[in-house]
Amino acid sequence: MSYYFTILSPTDVPLFNIAFGTSKSGGDGIARFRFPDTAQYMNQFIIHSSLDVVEEAQWMNGNMYLKHIDTYPPASAYISAFLTPSGARFLLLHQPPQLPSNSAGAGGSMSGSLLLGSGGGSSRASASSVAANPTSPQTEEAVRQFMTEVYENYVKTVMSPFYRQGMEIKSSVFRGRVTAAGRKWL
Amino acid sequence: MTQPARHAAMLSISNGGPNAVAVDKQQSQHIHTQSQSSQGLRVPSNRKTIYDRHLNRSRSAELSRASFAFLFAEMVTYAQRRVTGIQDLERRLNEQGYPLGLRLLDLLYYRTMASSTSSSLSSSSTSAAPPNRPLRILPLLHLIHGPLWRLLFNRPADALEHSVSPETPNEYMITDNDPLVNTYISVPKEMSMLNCAAFVAGIIEGVCDGCGFEAKVTAHNQPTEMWPGRTIFLLRFGESVMEREKVLERAGVK
Amino acid sequence: MSSATKASRIGEELWKTRVDKVNAELVTLTYGTIVAQLCQDYDGNYQEVNKQLEKMGYNIGMRLIEDFLAKSNVGRCANFRETADMISKVGFRIFLNIAPTVTNWTSDNNQFSLIFDENPLADFVELPDDGRAQDELWFSNILCGVLRGALEMVQMQIEAHFVSDVLRGDDTTEMRVSLVRYIEDEMPPDEE
Repeated sequence: MSYYFTILSPTDVPLFNIAFGTSKSGGDGIARFRFPDTAQYMNQFIIHSSLDVVEEAQWMNGNMYLKHIDTYPPASAYISAFLTPSGARFLLLHQPPQLPSNSAGAGGSMSGSLLLGSGGGSSRASASSVAANPTSPQTEEAVRQFMTEVYENYVKTVMSPFYRQGMEIKSSVFRGRVTAAGRKWL
Repeated sequence: MTQPARHAAMLSISNGGPNAVAVDKQQSQHIHTQSQSSQGLRVPSNRKTIYDRHLNRSRSAELSRASFAFLFAEMVTYAQRRVTGIQDLERRLNEQGYPLGLRLLDLLYYRTMASSTSSSLSSSSTSAAPPNRPLRILPLLHLIHGPLWRLLFNRPADALEHSVSPETPNEYMITDNDPLVNTYISVPKEMSMLNCAAFVAGIIEGVCDGCGFEAKVTAHNQPTEMWPGRTIFLLRFGESVMEREKVLERAGVK
Repeated sequence: MSSATKASRIGEELWKTRVDKVNAELVTLTYGTIVAQLCQDYDGNYQEVNKQLEKMGYNIGMRLIEDFLAKSNVGRCANFRETADMISKVGFRIFLNIAPTVTNWTSDNNQFSLIFDENPLADFVELPDDGRAQDELWFSNILCGVLRGALEMVQMQIEAHFVSDVLRGDDTTEMRVSLVRYIEDEMPPDEE
């Protein structure tokens, strides 16, 4: 599984982003996206296209963790979202290593039909593994843990009197913490 | 938010190299920003940074009320040197409170979350529900009246009311009978209209805005015989908020 | 009993019984707001920010000393060493609930350091990563002014400045305090 994680300000300014691969099931933590040459651009594009869904869900569901909210079938990319009460959005794009059998992305679309626990994941790996199925309850829980840990560090960042809303987060310590959270949960 | 704006924003960070496979090489520093000044901050040899300090460490810590009063008075005096009148001064105090509101909001949720899921670190899942973001005006007001006030002043606010006038359904009032920020501040006679609680009004405004409820918040003196410092915080929500409120009500969102 | 132990006891007792308290974070966040505002107003001229903070502290110190004397009811200190203990163990205890360590005396007993293991003013703070703040800004500089203002009101002219700060990446936070002179009684105390 490859991951692209980004934090967007309430006005959609990117504050932080990072790409990494799974460290579970023997993963080496390195991202291997389907389209290596354009991954950076594609990932940002996919994440930004899911914002309409986020904005809709944001007012129907008061949870901070909105779970898996969107799928982009052409890249088999799954988006999970976490909203801070102060309006920042944490978005995690996950992309399974191989093109899964066509059932996985079949129901998904840019318009945002939800694939909660659709069970359409790849049949190539065991169903309980985080890396295997982007919409399984185990994955949802792992992502929740990841988001929660990032949130804790995010709060530490914004508590500093010199941090202003919308400022890019440049701290290498913060980056290290997000990397560690990724390694721990994903 | 329009699509073009989003794409513009999306491209404003240029990432090092088009090749994402190279990410491992650049893992530590892979956002390259407009400013290239950043060598990163120095940290003490024990490597203690803000990220090593638990967010709850000062949760129940106390300091002297006099220290707060002295600092706050300096803040007001300083602000006064740079303004043209009472309204301007209140606006400035409001602006200084605003970012605090955003911070406190995140801190508040972190703490509620941390206490509702404290056992989850060991067990694989938890049944305790983390706190919800307010979607409607009423829960937002309760958040301010209760948890926010307790975090700042160790007690809830004294009253919460909705405007009775049919012309101003977007107006709500939160009352503090004895605001801490006014206890040690003696306002000169010629400035009797000034209410330094404008700072707190700014905090409230930050909380509202942060939660997506655009609002203007002002502080007004409403003394009674028993409470000479009594202050009403008037919250006026924007039209878009009121419209969304109607939509959500119809959709059954609480 | 040493003057330090005695001062410690007085400080603890006063903190417990005579000090009205507020949430520490309210104080911390308010101070952070002040410093951030100054940095913005002076457009990153940190030397000027340091100066302004010191000035604010001076104003506070001149008023704070009354509160201190009224609460502590302590008499005149016999020497500068006793003054140092009083500052650290009573003054800082009452106002910030800390007691920085007094150390590094010069042989003439006119200069010492205060080492801050804790500093509630700086909780949550990370200095701006602009390549300058860590070299130029003394975040807690208001404290230097507070000491100068307060001691001037009790006839002591002192000079205080920070020499290190963990916010700058130093291992300790240290303030150097020097006695310049005892002010004669007939001098107006607010001469600047």
